[in-house]
Amino acid sequence: MAVSQRSGKSSRRRQMEAAMTYPIDWLEERSGLVGGIRYFLFRKVPGDTNWMQTLGSATLTAFIVQAITGVILAMYYKPDPNSAYQSIQHITNDVTLGWLVRGMHKWGASLFIILMFFHMARVFLFGAYKYPRELNWIVGVILLATGMMEGFTGYLLPWDQTAYWATVVGINLNGTAPILGPFLAQFLRGGAEIGPDTLSRFYSMHMLLIPGGLIGLIGLHLYLVVRLGVTSPPWSKDAAGMEATTNGAGPATNGRTGLTRPAARGTWRRNGGDAE
Amino acid sequence: MMSLEERRAQFTKYKQDVKDRGKPFYPFAMFHDTIMSLVVVSIIIALACVWYFTSGEDPNTCGGKDSCLLGPRYAEPADPGTTNFVPRPDWYFYFLFYLLRIFKWPNSVILGTVGIPTILLIILIMMPFLDLRRERRVLRRPVAVVAAILTVLSMGVLTYKGATAKEALASEVKAAVPQWAQKQGFTNNKEAVAGANAFATSGCTACHTYLGTGGGNLGAPDLSAEGTKGKGVQGLQTYISDPSKFGNNVMPKFASLGDTTLHQIATFLDASKGPK
Ligand code: HEC
Ligand code: HEM
Repeated sequence: MAVSQRSGKSSRRRQMEAAMTYPIDWLEERSGLVGGIRYFLFRKVPGDTNWMQTLGSATLTAFIVQAITGVILAMYYKPDPNSAYQSIQHITNDVTLGWLVRGMHKWGASLFIILMFFHMARVFLFGAYKYPRELNWIVGVILLATGMMEGFTGYLLPWDQTAYWATVVGINLNGTAPILGPFLAQFLRGGAEIGPDTLSRFYSMHMLLIPGGLIGLIGLHLYLVVRLGVTSPPWSKDAAGMEATTNGAGPATNGRTGLTRPAARGTWRRNGGDAE
Repeated sequence: MMSLEERRAQFTKYKQDVKDRGKPFYPFAMFHDTIMSLVVVSIIIALACVWYFTSGEDPNTCGGKDSCLLGPRYAEPADPGTTNFVPRPDWYFYFLFYLLRIFKWPNSVILGTVGIPTILLIILIMMPFLDLRRERRVLRRPVAVVAAILTVLSMGVLTYKGATAKEALASEVKAAVPQWAQKQGFTNNKEAVAGANAFATSGCTACHTYLGTGGGNLGAPDLSAEGTKGKGVQGLQTYISDPSKFGNNVMPKFASLGDTTLHQIATFLDASKGPK
């Protein structure tokens, strides 16, 4: 047991500490997870990260809200054309706080998409898709497309007029794609017509296939974020990694914009007491 | 553009800088992330509450009027038979939806449904490889920034247009029927008038326009002079009951309206020779 054996403590206290850290030590010894979490929490990020860089985790929060409310909805929802609509009515009007769960899922979906766009805009603004983060940008674009597919499949589930007709047309539009289109449309419908098979198919995609993909992609995305670190705001006067080269095309030697001060090169070393 | 060595050196510098003067993720960045996440969850809950408490159990609570701030709880149950419904996707597909008004059937519709979205997606994925300069500051990336602003603007305009695209409500369309009959001169043709009413209430005007009424969505042609195309009542009836047989995979099948109604609609279209 790796508990510190500081002197001057009563043996009773030492025993208590040992008992408390025992589960943590046990877990660490067998999995290394504690060290992993510690690395994640105490890893350094650039000192000048700002509010815009919270948009990624805000997106993650919206996704988690969707996952939790989605699981609860699935306990009451019935993916069958004869009962889907009634089950939605039941959830919204009868089940205790069902309206809140459904409302959060419905509006959370839009917020999730909006936040993804905002997060993407911030990554673009920061030029954070450049070397070595190209792959993470690509993963991000796939997340965006997958997220929108999640929205498309979820839209049908209430099985009301809006849902039904938007999906009829949506699937037909997929069908106009050359070569693959007709197969895709056939696959989405699960036959020649929209019916029970379409609904259960969309349900399965919406709650298993696509979220599974999203979780995997988000995992990869976050792994890359931790591995590569997040970018400093480009206008920061002591952005991390700013002055590596003396290449003429490199960072500013021009103080006019006020976004950068050439004099600030390396000054953090002198006045950098606040960084730690 | 920088050589790979320079980029690597810059990234090594980044990592060193972060190590030297970064701050630990916990508690600094995590504090901001947590606040932002709380804001996100609060917004979702607030939206759910506003949505629920301004709407009612009856799907028509918000009918026509804007008595619900965030729309009804659900629309009428899905009914493949009566299609007096405007197919309207979720808001993040509005831009696509509106693109289809710009690209008309049949030649360029593929551009709208598949072409432009695919091109956008490819450009988005390729972004880190199209923009290889190291420069990250916004003011020094004029091309990227102008392209981004143009994209955001056009997406915004298309989304706005899609959101405000006029929906032809069945009741309004029906009110126009006597006028149609007069202009087209089929007032005395009972079958055609019945057909015009069925046409007005079966959702055809969600996509088609007729004497200025209707949506003009998804590249559907104007039908004011459909009778001049020489398809004949029988030909039109077959077409409407299953347009996919004629290579039209966008328009839904209307066979479920029943032969009587289909015949009426076909008679009405056949009597539409363009305004006198
Ligand atoms: C979801 C949108 C949509 C709805 C709803 C719709 N249509 Fe269409 N329709 C189209 C499109 C798109 C075309 C053009 C297809 C083509 O040119 O191949 C079309 C073509 C037609 C044509 C042939 C026009 C021509 O000149 O080639 C007729 C007739 C027609 N529709 C009648 C109707 C009737 C009647 C209804 C209502 C019962 C209806 N449509 C509902 C989308 C729709
Ligand atoms: C499910 C959706 C997404 C989640 C949960 C997510 C999450 C995150 C998080 C937590 C970060 C850390 C930095 C920050 O918060 O800004 C991040 C960074 C990043 N994200 Fe995302 N993201 C998502 C979608 C996207 C999309 C759509 C793109 C772009 C197309 C993208 C591209 C990036 C890139 C390139 C970084 C690195 C930024 C840097 O180094 O500064 N992500 N993401």
